[in-house]
Amino acid sequence: MTVGHNNHPSHRFPAPAAHSPKPKIATPQVFPFRSHRSPFPPLLAMSVYVEIDHVDKIFPLADGGEYIALKNIELKIKQGEFISLIGHSGCGKSTLLNIVAGLDRPSRGGAILEGREIRKPGPDRMVVFQNYSLLPWKTVRENIGLAVHTALTQLSLGERKATIEEHIDLVGLRRAADKYPHELSGGMKQRVAIARALAIRPKVLLLDEPFGALDALTRGNLQEQLMQICQDHHVTAIMVTHDVDEALLLSDRVVMLTNGPEAHIGQILDIPIARPRHRLEMVKHPAYYGLRNEIIYFLNQQKRAKKHKVQPRVAVARNGLEKVNLDLGFIPLTDCAPLVVAQEKGFFQQFGLEQVNLSREASWKAVAQGVREGRLDGAQMVAGMPLAMTIGSNGQPQTPMVAAMILSRNGNAITLGRSLQQTGVRNLADFTQWVLNAPRKPTLGVVHPASMQNLMLRYWLAAGGINPDLDVNLMVIPPVQMMASLKAGTIDGYCVGSPWHSLAVQDDLGFTIATDLDIWPGHPEKVLGMREDWVEKHPQTHLALIKALMAACEYCDDPRNRQEVATLLAQPQYLDMEMARLVPGFAGDYDGGTGVEHGSAMAFHRFHSDRANAPGRAEGLWILTQMARWGMNPFPKNWVEVLERVRRLDLYGEAARQMGWPVQEPGLSAFHLFDGVVFDPNHPVEYLQQFPIGQPLRIEEVNLEDVAPPDAAAPPLSLVA
Amino acid sequence: MASSTYRRSRSNPVEQFFKKFPQLRRFATSAIALLLVLTIWQILCASPESNLPGPVTVVQDTWELIINPFFDNGGTDKGLFWQIIASLQRVAVGFTAAAIVGISLGILVGSSALVYDALDPIFQVLRTVPPLAWLPISLAALQDSEPSAIFVIFITAIWPVIINTAMGVQQLPQDYKNVSRVLQLSRWQYFTNILFPATVPYVFTGLRIGIGLSWLAIVAAEMLIGGVGIGFFIWDAWNSSLISEIILALLYVGLVGLLLDKFIAFLGSLVLRGTQS
Repeated sequence: MTVGHNNHPSHRFPAPAAHSPKPKIATPQVFPFRSHRSPFPPLLAMSVYVEIDHVDKIFPLADGGEYIALKNIELKIKQGEFISLIGHSGCGKSTLLNIVAGLDRPSRGGAILEGREIRKPGPDRMVVFQNYSLLPWKTVRENIGLAVHTALTQLSLGERKATIEEHIDLVGLRRAADKYPHELSGGMKQRVAIARALAIRPKVLLLDEPFGALDALTRGNLQEQLMQICQDHHVTAIMVTHDVDEALLLSDRVVMLTNGPEAHIGQILDIPIARPRHRLEMVKHPAYYGLRNEIIYFLNQQKRAKKHKVQPRVAVARNGLEKVNLDLGFIPLTDCAPLVVAQEKGFFQQFGLEQVNLSREASWKAVAQGVREGRLDGAQMVAGMPLAMTIGSNGQPQTPMVAAMILSRNGNAITLGRSLQQTGVRNLADFTQWVLNAPRKPTLGVVHPASMQNLMLRYWLAAGGINPDLDVNLMVIPPVQMMASLKAGTIDGYCVGSPWHSLAVQDDLGFTIATDLDIWPGHPEKVLGMREDWVEKHPQTHLALIKALMAACEYCDDPRNRQEVATLLAQPQYLDMEMARLVPGFAGDYDGGTGVEHGSAMAFHRFHSDRANAPGRAEGLWILTQMARWGMNPFPKNWVEVLERVRRLDLYGEAARQMGWPVQEPGLSAFHLFDGVVFDPNHPVEYLQQFPIGQPLRIEEVNLEDVAPPDAAAPPLSLVA
Repeated sequence: MASSTYRRSRSNPVEQFFKKFPQLRRFATSAIALLLVLTIWQILCASPESNLPGPVTVVQDTWELIINPFFDNGGTDKGLFWQIIASLQRVAVGFTAAAIVGISLGILVGSSALVYDALDPIFQVLRTVPPLAWLPISLAALQDSEPSAIFVIFITAIWPVIINTAMGVQQLPQDYKNVSRVLQLSRWQYFTNILFPATVPYVFTGLRIGIGLSWLAIVAAEMLIGGVGIGFFIWDAWNSSLISEIILALLYVGLVGLLLDKFIAFLGSLVLRGTQS
C-alpha cells in the first residue's frame, strides 16, 4: 500500500512550494471515492456479478457463409474481481468484451450483469478503449466532463464538477486539465481515458488492451496505478490484453482463449498471489514463474495449433510398424535417461522407429496436455499421471491412458533450505516440531499433483504428524524453478527428482532430509504414458517403443555405462548443464549435505534391475489410494478395472517375451513404506481408513465406458492439488 | 587542404540573406516569375497588329478605373469596387443559403444509409450540371433575374457542401460513436458533442470548394442577366471593345476568388482552433 501511494503521481503535482507559508486550502484527495456513497454493498461481494452465459458470436460472410468467432463462452465473474482475457490476435477477445459492453450482441446466449441481461451499452459498463477514444475537440476536463455530466445526472452540478476535478487529480493530470488530447503523450491520454471511465463509477470497468500502445516505463507505472485504483475501489474489471506479465500482475483470474474460428475458453488460471501486489515484487513470488509458464505454454500451444492446421502430421508407416515418426515428451530430469539413451544409442532405430523426436516440455502439465491433445504421441510421465488422466482426477476431463512400462524407479529427495539445517532440523521429527512452531505457514514445492513427489511428500509429512493440507502450503512449481524459489526464500523446501535436489546441496542452498530410499525404496517414478486410443491404433509401434525403451533401460543400469549416460544427459538439448553436476547420486556417491548415507547410486536410480520396468498393479493401487486420500478424486470402486485398463501388464509381458526377458509378473503381495504401515492390495479401503490425516474418504465408481474421445480443446484445469 | 576544414561557407551574400528569411525568398521568386510573364506578354503583344493589348497598354487604358474604384454615375456605370461588391452580395446570399441547406442535408444523408442510397445518385448527376445550365430554368421559375442569379450560386455551391458533409458524417470514427453509445448521449448531445465537431473539417473542405464554384458561377451568370456586377462589367466592356478593361476585371476576379478561398480557410482554422489531432 505504502509503496503504491508514494508512487502515485497525484502526489507530485499539487505539492505546495517549499517557501509558501500558506498551506493550500483545497488539498486534493488522493482517492476520493469514499467521500461519496460506497457503490458496492459487501453483501453482494461473493455472488456472481457478471455472467457470460453460453455466448456464440457468428459473423455472416460476404459469400453467404458464416464465420463463428466465439463458441460457447461461459464465464462467471464475482464482484470486485479483475479478469484478464488473453489469446492470440483475432481470437475474439475484443468481441467478447464488446458483448459485455453491449456494443455487440451475441448470436446465441447472453451476458448478464446483476441478474439483468445486457442488451445495449450503458455507463454502468464503461469501456477504456484501445486507442483512448478521447474527443480531440475537447480538453481533458471537457472529455471527463462529458461523461460525468451525461452519466451522473442524479448529482447536482456542483457535485459533478467536484467529481471531475477529483478524477483529474486521481490520475495526476491537474496541470494538463485544459489541454487538448493532441497535446498529450500516449500515457497521459490513457490516464484521461481511465479517469473518464472511473469518474462515472461503472459497475464493471472494461479495458481493451489499455496499455498496448505505450512504452514499457509508462505502461508499468499505469499498471500500478490502475491496480491501486481497482483495489481501493473494489472495481470489477475485465481487461483484454496480450501481455502475459500484465495479466499476471493485475488479474485475479486469467481467462485464456483459443484461436478462432470457434474460439472458446481454453483454460482459466487462478492467480493466487496476495494483494496488494507490486510489479517488482511479483516476480519473486514462488508461483509467479509457474503461472507465467502456464500462460506462455498455452499461447505457444495455440500458435502451434495454428501451424498444425496448415500441415497435418502424417503418420509414416514403415518396417511393419504403423508409425515410425514419433514425438515423445520429456522433462529435463536425470530419469529421462531411457529416452535419451534410446535416441542417442540407436535403440529406437534398432526397433524400427526411425524418426523419433524428443520434445523437451516446460512442465508436467504441458506433458499431460500435449498427449491429451495429440501433439505428442506419448511421453515420460510421473507415475500417477496416466491413472489421474484416466479417472479424471482434479476435475479434469477423462482421457483413457495406457502405462505399459515403468521407465525409472526412485531418484527423488526432499530438500529443505540451509537455514533449517542451522536451526537443527535433522529428521522428520525435528521438521514436524519446526513446522508446528513456525511463525508462518511453511511453503513446500512439488512438481505435479499426480507426481510421486507430491504423494510421497504428503505421506512423509502425514506420517510425521503434519497435515499437508493445513499445516503447510504445497505449491506446484516446475522442477527447474525449485532452486530459484528456495534461494529467494519464497519456499522452505521441496520434493523433486534428480538432479534438482542434488544441485541445491552442491550450491549450498539446502540439504536433503530424506530420499525416497528412506521412504519407499523401489517405488515407481516415471512411466511411459500413451493415450489408449493411440495404442489401439498403433499396437505394433507401441510394442516396438516399449522394446526400444527396455533395451535402453537395460543399458542405463549397467554401472559401466553410467558415466557415459550422464554425458549424454548433460547435452544442451536435454539437461543442458555440466556433466559433473549430474554425477552425484547417478554415477557416484550421493551427498545430501548432512553426512548421512543415502544408499548407492545404482539403487537410487533404477532403470532395469529387479523387474523395474513391470507396471505392477499393487503400486498403481497405492497411488490410487493416495490420490483419494488427498481428495484429488474419489477412490474408484472399480479400481481393479481402472488398473487393468491403465497398467497394461499384458503388453509389458508381450514385449518382455519378445525381448527374451524372463516374464515375472509382480503379484498382489503386501508391502509397507518407511513407517511400517502395511499396504495390503486386497484391502485398499481399509488401508485408507486407518490414516488419521487425510481428506474424508469418498468411494465412487469411475465410468470408463462412455468416455468421449479427447478433442483438441484444452479443458480448464486447476493448478492447485 | 587543412584550411578547408575551417572554411566558411562561400555562398554569396544574397543566398545568406534568403537563408535568414525563407519567406522573402518565396516572395522574390514569384515576383521574378510574374515579371517574366509580364515581359513575355509585353513582347508578344508588342506588334501594332496585335489583337490584345500588352500590360503597359492595359494599365494606361484603365488608369482611370484603377485609381478611382468608388465612382457611381448611376445605372451600371459604377466603379469596380461597387461592381465587385454587387457580385459578392449575390454570392453571400446564395452561398449562405447553400451552406445552411447543404450542411443540414449532408448530415441527414450521411447519418442514414437509406437516405444516402436514395439520394446519392441524384446528387452525383446534378452536381455535374454546369452552373449556367441552371439559369434558364431558374429564370423560368423565378421570373426575375436577381433571384435567379442567387439561385444559380446556391445550386452550384450546394453539392460539394452536401457531399463533403455526408462523407464527414460517414467517416465518423466508430470509437467516437462507441463513446456516445456507452455514455448513452441523447440525440442532441450526440450532435453537439460528437457528430458536429467531428464533421467540421469535412464541412469546411466542402465550403471551400463551394465558394470557389460560386465565384466561378456568378461571373458567368451576371454576363447573362445584366445589371451591376463584375460579370456584366466584363460583358459590357466586350461589347464596347474595351479589351484592357476586360483584362483588368479578370485580374480583380482572380484576386477576389483567392481572397474568398483564404477567408473560408481562415474561418475553418478559427472554428477548429488547433484541436485537430
